[in-house]
Amino acid sequence: MKTLVILSHPSIGESGSQQFLIQSVNDHNHVTLHHLEREYPDGIIDVKKEQNLLLQHDRIIFQFPFYWYSSPPLLKHWQDEVLTEHFAYGYRGDKLHGKEFGLVLIIGVGEKEYESGGQEGFSISELTKPFQAVAKKTGMTYLKPFSIFQFAYKTEEEKMELLIAYQQYLSLKEADSLKAKEEWMLKQLEELSYDKIPVDEAPFIIDEAISMLEDNRLELDELRLHIDHYAD
Amino acid sequence: MESVEWLVEQLDKLVKESRDYKQKALLLSTKKLIQEQEKRKEQLSGELDGRLWSPGSWRE
Repeated sequence: MKTLVILSHPSIGESGSQQFLIQSVNDHNHVTLHHLEREYPDGIIDVKKEQNLLLQHDRIIFQFPFYWYSSPPLLKHWQDEVLTEHFAYGYRGDKLHGKEFGLVLIIGVGEKEYESGGQEGFSISELTKPFQAVAKKTGMTYLKPFSIFQFAYKTEEEKMELLIAYQQYLSLKEADSLKAKEEWMLKQLEELSYDKIPVDEAPFIIDEAISMLEDNRLELDELRLHIDHYAD
Repeated sequence: MESVEWLVEQLDKLVKESRDYKQKALLLSTKKLIQEQEKRKEQLSGELDGRLWSPGSWRE
């Protein structure tokens, strides 16, 4: 599966969170990072090129700071220009059908403010309705957004967990499933390089971790089987 | 349980010693994933116990 991240940020160099996310995936060959403001500093979009990029990928992600409950202006302009009739909708406009569409939102205030009764008063699901409508109209499957609240206040450990969750959001078929996460993790562990860990027994520990992940999965499946049996 | 604790400790050690940020993140998440599996196992065992003790299934 190939993922296209369409990134929009007017001053990306100053954004710690965006830099962090870019670094997280810069060596993944199945992920294309596409920064609109860098590609089109004059705002003139090459529509054919953008449509071709869309065609070459299976999962399309819009990644942006959630300014005034919407995207930066260039991303809106990109939608106006690129998602044209006969391509994205209308007669023979089925080029995006079957693809997946997700959002990575960088949000400056805390998560609780986006609950009903919170300071913002509306939920992310409500405020992202226009993007959900785009997915519906273009025949794409809308993914649950990946929202990052108050990045700057996160602890180092939280940032590390975020890094992995973000990689999984971009590459996992079902990012919410524990089983899918296990399979992803096993693959990463099997490909781990040891030259950056100065611990002799590191390969042994990793082997043990792999066995435990696999054994636990067997046990979980077996437990589920028994439960289903008694549920009948 | 003992081997889980041992493994968690060893993974923490690798997180500390690794010189690569992304690798540290991966090792930390491996630990968290194992802990999540352990939690699910406990939950499912509890659910299974509950079902075995459910009067509804005693009639069989």
